[in-house]
Amino acid sequence: MRAAASETFPRALTILVTATAVLAPLSLILYQSLLTAPFFDARKTVGVGAYAFIFADPDFWQASKNSFLIAGGMTLIAVPLGALVAFVMERTDLAGKRWIEPLLLVPSFVSPMVLSFGYVVAAGPVGFYTVWAREIFGGAPWGIYSILGMTVIAGLTHVPNVYVYASAALKNLGSDVEEAARVSGAAPFHVALTVSLPLIMPSLLFSAVLVFFLGFELFGLPLVLGDPEGILVLSTYLYKLTNKLGVPSYHLMAAVAICIVAVTFPLVLLQRQLLKSARKYASIKGKAGRMRELPLGSWKWLAMGLIGSWIFVSVVVPLSGIALRSFVTNWGEGVALREVLTLEHFQSIADEPTMMRGIFNTVLIGVVGGLITVACYTAIGFATHRRNDGWSRFVDYLVLVPRAVPGLLVGLAFLWVFLFFPPLTPLRSTLFSVWIAYSVVWLAYGMRLISSALMQVSPELEEAGRSVGASRGRVSRDITLPLIRYGLLGSWLLVFMIFEREYSTAVYLLAPGTEVIGAQLVSLWQGGAIDLVAALSLINVILVGVGLGVALRFGVRLRD
Amino acid sequence: MAVLTVDNLHLSYGDNPILKGVSMELAPGEVVSLLGPSGSGKTTLLRAVAGLEQPHKGTIRIGERVVFDGGKGIELPAEKRDLGLVFQSYALWPHRTVHDNVAYGLKLRNVKKAEAGERIRKVLDQLGLGHLGDRFPHQLSGGQQQRVAIARALVYNPPVILLDEPLSNLDAKLREEARAFLRELIVRLGLSALVVTHDQAEAMAMSDRILLLNNGRIEQQGTPQQMYGAPQTLFTAEFMGSNNRLPGQVAEAREGRARLQGEGWSLWGLLRGEAAAGREAQGVIRLEQVRVADSGEGNRLRMPLSTSMFLGDRWEHVFRKDSLALRAYTHEPLGQGEYWLDLPTERLWIF
Repeated sequence: MRAAASETFPRALTILVTATAVLAPLSLILYQSLLTAPFFDARKTVGVGAYAFIFADPDFWQASKNSFLIAGGMTLIAVPLGALVAFVMERTDLAGKRWIEPLLLVPSFVSPMVLSFGYVVAAGPVGFYTVWAREIFGGAPWGIYSILGMTVIAGLTHVPNVYVYASAALKNLGSDVEEAARVSGAAPFHVALTVSLPLIMPSLLFSAVLVFFLGFELFGLPLVLGDPEGILVLSTYLYKLTNKLGVPSYHLMAAVAICIVAVTFPLVLLQRQLLKSARKYASIKGKAGRMRELPLGSWKWLAMGLIGSWIFVSVVVPLSGIALRSFVTNWGEGVALREVLTLEHFQSIADEPTMMRGIFNTVLIGVVGGLITVACYTAIGFATHRRNDGWSRFVDYLVLVPRAVPGLLVGLAFLWVFLFFPPLTPLRSTLFSVWIAYSVVWLAYGMRLISSALMQVSPELEEAGRSVGASRGRVSRDITLPLIRYGLLGSWLLVFMIFEREYSTAVYLLAPGTEVIGAQLVSLWQGGAIDLVAALSLINVILVGVGLGVALRFGVRLRD
Repeated sequence: MAVLTVDNLHLSYGDNPILKGVSMELAPGEVVSLLGPSGSGKTTLLRAVAGLEQPHKGTIRIGERVVFDGGKGIELPAEKRDLGLVFQSYALWPHRTVHDNVAYGLKLRNVKKAEAGERIRKVLDQLGLGHLGDRFPHQLSGGQQQRVAIARALVYNPPVILLDEPLSNLDAKLREEARAFLRELIVRLGLSALVVTHDQAEAMAMSDRILLLNNGRIEQQGTPQQMYGAPQTLFTAEFMGSNNRLPGQVAEAREGRARLQGEGWSLWGLLRGEAAAGREAQGVIRLEQVRVADSGEGNRLRMPLSTSMFLGDRWEHVFRKDSLALRAYTHEPLGQGEYWLDLPTERLWIF
């Protein structure tokens, strides 16, 4: 049975390493939450004191309430809007759809930290658009430093998440069921309401749960927009705990983390169920075929107005705000733009070694780190590919676990791992710590990319390899891997973009040697260095933009 | 007065012309089949009539109503054409019950609830679905799904019912029963129907008239008997039945007949095409018209038997001599040896 052993060993090793990387940090959080003091404190004892403390804190309850309010509110905004946009984009003859599509996805690729900052400098009390609106209309009736403001912004910037799933569902929906409704006498928008949207309801439900879940995870937005007014949500409450007590209060942070996961983990499981039922629903759909686009006629202006205003508010306003702010010394009422233009913020960044290192590290972790990450994900993918045994199901659930844990917490958990296991401590101040945390946080996302590439390979091609005498490993190496290489290149590009965008995971891992732009933005923002934040944000947007440009150039599918 | 008139219809996908000037009529109570190989434009024509494809030239009229006129820029959207369309895939709405699938068209026409209920009950009964109203589409067999699709298209009494490959989604066994059921239903209800099919047997069995499409044009039209018995072109002859082909040259021609000459043989047949002596020509004769004869009198060839196949109700034989091969049916098996084959002049077409 030596052949069998040589096949089993790599698989077992892959599963073991994955399980360790996922479960070790998370069990550490659970363990820490059940201690009465930080784990390195000699006076620690086992107990639920940490939970007792936070449950007695009115701020905790206020933060929970705010989290639910914002998550619920943004779901109510994002889902109907996303579904409507998806219908217009998939089914109507709206002009310029090829150009609109990438713009629709932009908010999901830009760091939320950057977007939130963009709203501050563009639409805050002295933001560009606020000042201009006052000059032109005599007033600017919006306040973004409020729960309502945050909810609206979060809702609008999460429209892409709904759009992606709704439009994929519409693509899969056979056009014949819609044509049958038209032949029966239903006008286009009647078709949308009575046939198309009810049939993609499972996908809409799925994206509603997803958006609610993402709302629960929000960190950058409430940090930037809520914190100045003292509005806390659970993630910012956790982030502020250290400041609040003045000592490292790891046990309290762990307890809050467990409370967050107690809400998010069931949501992740629910998503999984919903996705399954959505697929079941799709299997009894009609036959997909070429379809004539619905002529919008005079509805065209309404549709264009809707999509145009969304793009203006969710893409143009924040990004133009950042771009402008990074080139001016200061801004406010009565300031003439021409007199304050400057390049000195970029000069300050160039003069500051930690900033330059941050930029270098960010590129490095995206390009090289991203490549290694895709290699790891591919190994995990092969460990479960076309095997329907207990281990595959275990890995299926395993990769879901980090999905339920917000990046901020995964970063914190890895910090603890490096402190808790002395042999690992030297790695703590290297980029490896950030890389492993990123790879674990995005495990579920990356595995979806890899498995969708693997599923494109028809089983017959692999079976033919087996039947001519290749072992499972040989087939993977000689047949499957070459066939999915373009899919893997595309995954690398997408992983590059999310690693450029990531910020919260690195917050707790920020140390000399591990600087990345995302974490630096959080830290600089806390220190009030607006000029540097603006310039660094623009650089971050440009890095993501390069990735997006390459992806569009080579036709990489921007969504899984 | 025709219930459906198509005149000189042109339609392209980009630069690729699909319909190149098709004209046709459908009389009340008539069943017309659009027959042709894949890519001939038959489904496109049906969809253009339904308003699901956009032609760029020509006219389509339903009764007196002009629903498309390329010259005048008239194009009525699908939902305003008031036609019944049965999709190849049936396209039943999976989130509605059988009853609600059928009811939808009536609801859109603001038919009162009581009357709608009555009409739905009637059409479901006519199609033998009376007891299945509360089921969902995925709980039905293929044949039942098809009948729901038909009921859905019939319930609002459209002037014309369009059927796209109505039998192609059914099992082979079920197909013949469904064919008879459909023909009976259409005749019993006096419907005017336009049926798309790629199967000539289906077209002949179901329709009063057949339109054979080839590469975006109508190749020939007529009753099933005309199409099968008197094809005007080689394409029609080949498409409508199982044939023997005899390649040769026209040796002489007179009074609509011609003598076809090949390697060591010569036969008389009906001339379909130029009379020029010496031109290359194809002789075509249906398999069932070739008979095994006793002697060499008349339009006959002597050929050795190559092989025989038992088909259940008869035998099919292959005769081969030099480069010429002929197939023929008999009721009794044949032994080894040479046979005289009779090819009646009236049945041999020379293209």
